[in-house]
Amino acid sequence: MSNFRKSQNEAHPNKTNTILTGIILLQILFISMQIWLLFGALNNALEENFGFALTTFIGSLLMAIASIWLLRYLPEPLRKDSKNKPMVSPSRNP
Amino acid sequence: MAKKDSGKEPSWKADFPIESKRATHVSRREFAKFLGLLSGAFALSNGFIVIRAMAFPDERLEGEHFVVDADKVPVGEMLQFEIGGEDLIPYILIRLEENKWRAFEQKCTHLTCAVRYREDVNKIECPCHNGWFSADTGEVLQGPPPRPLPQLEVVVREGKVYVREGERENRAV
Repeated sequence: MSNFRKSQNEAHPNKTNTILTGIILLQILFISMQIWLLFGALNNALEENFGFALTTFIGSLLMAIASIWLLRYLPEPLRKDSKNKPMVSPSRNP
Repeated sequence: MAKKDSGKEPSWKADFPIESKRATHVSRREFAKFLGLLSGAFALSNGFIVIRAMAFPDERLEGEHFVVDADKVPVGEMLQFEIGGEDLIPYILIRLEENKWRAFEQKCTHLTCAVRYREDVNKIECPCHNGWFSADTGEVLQGPPPRPLPQLEVVVREGKVYVREGERENRAV
C-alpha cells in the first residue's frame, strides 16, 4: 500500500495547520455574521417585519450549512504510532 | 516501604487509565466541530423567530375601549391603564393640553421597563437606561430604545376618553 500521503503529511506538517486555521477562521466569520443576523431578526420581528426575519433565517441557514460542510475538509489527525512505521532491514541497507 | 515502591506505578492508576490532561484537552478538530454545531444552533434560533412570527401574529386591538372620564385627568398628568383587565400590556394616557390626549404602551422598546411622563420636560422617560421619547409622537429622542413607543388613538366623546387602534405608523418600518 502506498504511504505517499503519510510521508507528505509528515514532511509538511504546516499544511495541516493552515487548513485547520482556515476552517476555524471561516467558521468564526460565519458565526459572527449569524449573531448579527439573529440580533437584527429579533429587533425586526418585534416590529412585525416578517420579511426580514425570513431573509435572515435563510442567510443564517446557508451559513450553518457552509460551516458544517467545511468540516469535510478537516485534516485527519497525525498519528504517531511507531508500530506501522516502515522498518529498514539491515540486509537491504548495507 | 514507601521508598521501595516509589519506582512502581501505584495500583490505583490502573483504575483510571485516562490521564486528566488528555481528558480535558480540546483539539482543534473538536473545536471546529463545536463551531459547526454552534452555527447550526444559531440558524435554528433564527428559524424559531420565523415560526413564532407565523404562528403568533401580533393581534390588533379590536374596537374602542373606555379608559376614564376626561375630567378625572388634569392637564399635564399621566394615567396608567389596562384594556379589558388584560395587564399583559400596560398603557399610559397623557393629557398634554386641554384637548390633546396621547396613549402609548408603557413598555419601553428597549428592555420593557415601565416608562413615565415627565411634565417638567414634556417628554416620556424610561428611568432604567435613561431613554427618552417624545410625548407627542412616541419617537425616540435619546438613549438606547431602538423603536418608538407603540401608540393608540385617543377619542374623547361626551366627556369620556376611549382608545382604539390607530394607523400603527409607529410599528411599520
